[in-house]
Formats: sequence, structure tokens, C-alpha cells
Amino acid sequence: MIPGDAVTAAENTCGATAGGPRAWKFADILADPRIREKWEKVRRYFFLRESTYDLTRRCNIRCDGCYFYAGEKQHVRGNPDPEAWRRLMQAEKARGITYVVLAGAEPALVPDVCRACYAAMPLGTIATNGLEPIAADVGYRLHISVWGNDATSRAVRGAEAMLERQTENYRGDPRAVFVYTFTAGNIEESYAVADYLVARGCRLTFNVFSAPETYTGSLRHSMASLMATRRAMREITRRHPASVLFSGYNAVVHTHALGLHDLFACPYPRRNPSTSLGLGRSFRQYRADLTWDRGAACCVPDTDCADCRHYAAGSAIVTAKMFRHAVDPTLFSAWLDYVDTYLAVWVTDYVKSPDLVEDLVAPPGVAREGCN
Amino acid sequence: MTVMTPMADITLRVASVLIDELRLEDVTPETFAPDMDLVDEVGIDSMDLATVALVLQDHYGIRFDEDDYPKLTTVRKIAAYIAERLGA
Repeated sequence: MIPGDAVTAAENTCGATAGGPRAWKFADILADPRIREKWEKVRRYFFLRESTYDLTRRCNIRCDGCYFYAGEKQHVRGNPDPEAWRRLMQAEKARGITYVVLAGAEPALVPDVCRACYAAMPLGTIATNGLEPIAADVGYRLHISVWGNDATSRAVRGAEAMLERQTENYRGDPRAVFVYTFTAGNIEESYAVADYLVARGCRLTFNVFSAPETYTGSLRHSMASLMATRRAMREITRRHPASVLFSGYNAVVHTHALGLHDLFACPYPRRNPSTSLGLGRSFRQYRADLTWDRGAACCVPDTDCADCRHYAAGSAIVTAKMFRHAVDPTLFSAWLDYVDTYLAVWVTDYVKSPDLVEDLVAPPGVAREGCN
Repeated sequence: MTVMTPMADITLRVASVLIDELRLEDVTPETFAPDMDLVDEVGIDSMDLATVALVLQDHYGIRFDEDDYPKLTTVRKIAAYIAERLGA
């Protein structure tokens, strides 16, 4: 194992408090000026209230394990009218939504809808496969999905020369972050793909394949592939610190034996009956016909919750769990690194700071022997 | 000299922490309506409430339960929650 890749209990001993180490006051945690500085930096973004939107049912490729083409949402009748979307965005703003994630199936295929959304709601991200350029006047963050090298993409996504076409469209684009999705079958090639992207001036972050509920293919992770993924994440981050948006805590929570729901109790409506506060109150996942279903609402609908380690899910789930991370300086610092990373990945012009924590830290409430 | 009940004192403290942490303007602890809905009328969210809870935890030496957040939607409810935990 690479030094630094073992999850250490550090002083937080996995967040244990009862009968264990010192119980920290929040004020004492914030007494460290580095922690205080990052805390003040990230808390300015607590106003972000997200919802997600499938802009269209259409896509120009078909990927093995695509969550969009699982479940009911793929069968709705899409609404391509930009005016309808503009009105929806205005209504969303009126109910307090400040940040939109435009996804499924391929938003770049409905450029007028993208433009209408941006005009009404300027903070957000478009999740795209990057094969079609999105006009420069759509100022959203763009997440370009990468699932391996070109040979792998040909096999898994049925598309030729994906990296070349993606980087042709988006190299040097300040909106773009390339999102490398680790599957059970593309871990070793991730190093070379990262080198390729960085050499072309691209920034990247990492995702972990999270299987749709009905998925029976070969991309689903095992414990061994999750650990190999963690090592690759760490090594690539070390190799390209200026280009990779990731932290040690990201690596831990997204490759843990427990999925995000089991680690943190997912607060999305699909798993959270409370409507009084937070995501349970405000989050909606709109389908391409502009309807939504509370019972299915999360950022990656139809994903198997037990297998969910998705980067978009974590960005909300881990971030929302500030309270349980504020138990000691190490764990809180790891959480701050995670939130700082999430903001850099999702918010245009937000600049990631150096991580506070070098070692890997176990999530709160996880017994040490279960940390990794 | 006015003698405040423990509950009144806690209510003022909760309002004060909310004002400080959320940088609320044009309101003082004394003028903060204790029954105003913090979510609907002030616009606070779970992250704000977590921050306020952490600061109040420090002050009173009690432990908030994360599962109780949804119930803590007014200054009065938060104050009552603290008072209950203090046995006040």
C-alpha cells in the first residue's frame, strides 16, 4: 500500500467520543487559524440550494450502466420548449432554488433549453458527454464524463475517439471539469487518461460508478476494485495537484465499503421522509416532461442506494453532514477539504485551497477496523 | 432591575446566536420574534441550523441530536429544547 493510503484514526478515532478522546468544542476547533480560514471560505456558499433537471430524453451515445436509461424517467415525453423551461426556472427560483444541475440524457442536444435555463438561473452545472460543444454564452460549469481510454469508451459507450473529441471541444475552457468515472474495469488506464487530460490543459475530478438498481453488467465495483480505485485517485492527485480537484477525504468516502447512504444517511427525498428542512424540503428531480416524483427524487435516480458512491450524491450528502464532522479538528478539517473540493468542482470561479489533512481520515461513526 | 427567567435568558441567547451566525440585520435579540418560522420566514437551511446548534452546544454544554433538527424551527422551540436538556 502506498504510504498515506491507509485510513488512520488520527486523533479523531473515527469520530468516537463517548469514553474516548477529548470532546471538542466547536469554538476550539475553529481556534486553528487554518481551519477558521477554510470554514469562513466555504460557509459563504451555504446559500446554495440545488435541484436537478433532465433536459431531454435524447442522447447521442448509449453507455453501459447509464442511470438515465434505467427506471421510468426515460419513458416520459420530453418538453423541448425553451419558454416552458424558462418559466420552470423562474418558479424554482421563487421557491428558493439557487443552483441547478442539468443532466439526462444529453443536455448539449437541446442548446436552446440550456440557454433558457441559464438566462433564468445562472448558477449551475451541465453534465454532458462532451461530444457536442455547448455555446460559450451558456456560463454554467460543465462536467465532461470520461469512462476510460478510447478503447474502453468504444466498448462501454459505443463511441469512437471520445477523449480526442472531448478535449477538442473543451480544452482550456474555464467552464469545464472532466469527471473520470472509475468502474471495476478502467482503473489501471486512469493514470494515462489523467496524463492525457492534464497535458491538454484540462482539470479533472473523480466519480465512482454506482450501479442502477437493475444493473447486471460488469462495471459494478468489488471491494478490491474500490481499494484499487482509491489508490489510483490518490496517486493521480499527487501527480497532478494543480489539475485534479479532489481530496483525501473524497477518496475515503467514495471508495468505502459502505456506500454513501449507509455512511451518512442520505438526505435526498427518495430516502428521507422529512419535508421540514434541507434537501428533504427543497430538492426536486425534474424529468424531461417537467414533472417530478418525490419518491424517486435524488441526484442519480434509479441508482442502487446500497451501491451509491456517486460524486454528485456525495457533494450533497457529505456536505450536509457538517454537524457530525464537527467533533474534532482532524475530522472537521477533512470535511472542510471535501466541501472545498465540492465547491471547486461545481461552482464556476471557485478556487480550491490546499488540503488541511494529508492522511486519510475515517468517516464519523465508523469503527476503526471498518474504516477501510 | 429586571430578573429574567432561565427560559427568557435562553431565548435571548438563541436569538443572539442566530443573528451573529447568520449575519442578520435590522433585528436584535430583543426584537427577534420567538415564534417566527426560521425556515419559511428567515430562510435558514440545515447548514445554518447545524452551525447555530454547534455554537449553542458550546455555550450550554449540551448535545444536540441531529435527528431533532426538523423540530427546531423557531427560536422558542430551540430555547425549549435547550431548557429541556439543561433540566431548566
